[in-house]
Amino acid sequence: MDTLQHLVAGFGVALTPLNLLIAAMGALIGTVVGLLPGLGPINGVAILMPLAFAMELPAESSLILLAAVYIGCEYGGRISSILLNVPGDAGAIMTALDGYPMARKGLGGVALSISAWSSFVGSLIATVGIVLFAPLLASWALSFGPAEYFALMCFAFACIAGLMGDAPLKAGLAAIIGLSLSCVGLDSNSGVYRFTGGDVHLSDGIQFIVVVIGVFSISEILLMLQEHHTSTGLITDTGRKLFNAKEMAQTWWGTVRSSVVGFVVGVLPGAGATIASAMTYSMEKRLTDKDGTFGKGDIRGVAAPEAANNSAATGSFVPMLTLGVPGSGTTAVMVGALALYNITPGPALFTQQPALVWGLIASLFLANAILLVINIPLVGAFTQVLRVPNWILVPGILAVSAVGVYAVHATTFDLVLMAALGGVGYLLRKQGVPMAPLILGFVLGDLMEQNLRRALSITSGDPSILVESPIAVGLWVGAAAMVAVPPLLRLRRHARFHADAATA
Amino acid sequence: MSDRILGAACLVTSAAMAWAARDYAAAISYEPVGPSAFPLLLAGLMAAGGAWLVARPALRGNSLHGVPAVPTALCALAVLVYALLFQWLGFAAATAAMAVPVGMAFGGSLKQSLAAGAGLGLALFFLFDKALDAVLPTGVLSFVLGGR
Repeated sequence: MDTLQHLVAGFGVALTPLNLLIAAMGALIGTVVGLLPGLGPINGVAILMPLAFAMELPAESSLILLAAVYIGCEYGGRISSILLNVPGDAGAIMTALDGYPMARKGLGGVALSISAWSSFVGSLIATVGIVLFAPLLASWALSFGPAEYFALMCFAFACIAGLMGDAPLKAGLAAIIGLSLSCVGLDSNSGVYRFTGGDVHLSDGIQFIVVVIGVFSISEILLMLQEHHTSTGLITDTGRKLFNAKEMAQTWWGTVRSSVVGFVVGVLPGAGATIASAMTYSMEKRLTDKDGTFGKGDIRGVAAPEAANNSAATGSFVPMLTLGVPGSGTTAVMVGALALYNITPGPALFTQQPALVWGLIASLFLANAILLVINIPLVGAFTQVLRVPNWILVPGILAVSAVGVYAVHATTFDLVLMAALGGVGYLLRKQGVPMAPLILGFVLGDLMEQNLRRALSITSGDPSILVESPIAVGLWVGAAAMVAVPPLLRLRRHARFHADAATA
Repeated sequence: MSDRILGAACLVTSAAMAWAARDYAAAISYEPVGPSAFPLLLAGLMAAGGAWLVARPALRGNSLHGVPAVPTALCALAVLVYALLFQWLGFAAATAAMAVPVGMAFGGSLKQSLAAGAGLGLALFFLFDKALDAVLPTGVLSFVLGGR
């Protein structure tokens, strides 16, 4: 009952004209950012975050803006996947597998509308999931001490490294680089300046926005030079606009299944929409693909990953809000946004900032409804955005990114640091080092160090406190499993593959 | 660039980190773990990761193979110059100047890129500075746009 009361109050916050307008704007911007190949939710949120701060929006309004952009991106990504065969963001890679063949068969309109619908169902199920589980998790997490928090953050890094797939070592390195960057500046416990080189610009640390925009937006622009896309493959004849009842019935259970799986994957710290959509696509393929039509334009192969990437994106709010440990790169950026307002997410947020938390949850419902409305009839307008040539688009992205960086401190130093981090980020990404763990490390660095030091202070330096409580032990075991199990599974699959090859 | 180089870079960075962090110490210490422990721990982990990459590189070939070197370098340089001139030239003028090399690297002609840059510079200036209250430098155009 308590939850229901809070939710009603949350709708009170979300339905104020300002917040409603902001949610609609965010949904619109998010869809556009999502559909542009090369720009994903992290870029969108990173660029808008400093602007929201500079515009002096209240904390809950800017969080609503960023959340609407995030969910909007997951909607928008599908448009370019389906019509251009180029995923608009990483979560939409799977959608292209069946979406583009559908569009080539003249069913583009059906693919777009069914994926908007399944995105809606995915987000809706996940938002209900937040309402049901987040308060429980938050009240449970209130009992976490510094040792448990330290273990939890190690668990988050283990998740992101283990699930990132081919290069857990590089994901780990990225996290360490992020953690190291977070050490720069004044150490609040001792008053020692670390790694500043005596430069006054670094004395309060590297600005979060500078890191995010540098390693994501600037490096992305340099990467885009290689993967030039043109709008030549764009399919303009989309045929029938709306799916029919038969198509809806055909995809319904796959959509629901994928939404639930997506939510669970999204809640895991570190794992996000990309993994969820890949998992559910192969799950649906195994469960329902009797005639081998997946990959050739099967409508179920469009609905499932779209439902999953939306529900995972929405689900990743759960660890961010309840534990203060973000579930995806994008929510990591939002933690940084809250830090600008001196708000530290964590279990206490539910009791200290109920308007913020429940306002956000209520706006997720609203933004999702707005997105469904703008994404089915207006999809034609959005596809026009894909025709904007890169020689306008890229300088525009660069200029807006620079405005974002400049908005925080108004120094040339930050802009130069952004350019330098962009170059380094580019080289790292070329080398296969993922950037999401780096951001997670940068956001969690201070918290992680503080909790480690606090834990060791309790026992005056005895590290055994880190493995004392059952919760901490559970998290360590979980972390070890996350790192060890995926490579073992891969090894086994590999061995089986070779055995099959030998007997064949 | 191969993984060996990345590993070596990690080793060098971690050594520099450890050297810089070696004598961070609190003037008055009231906790068992001081300011140098966490950076040293990270340096150790980074060194281990770097050593692994040097010993067993996953990616042996040149990862920069096939990169359009000239446009990429030009863009990276343009971003740096943009950063340096942003305050001095002002947002609108610096954006127009940046858009020329970047736009051309992305396939625009000189005229198109310059027009796009000038348009973007002015439009975004009015959007952010005037409409959204995010103050931007006006630089050399301050006599028309006002401000600094």
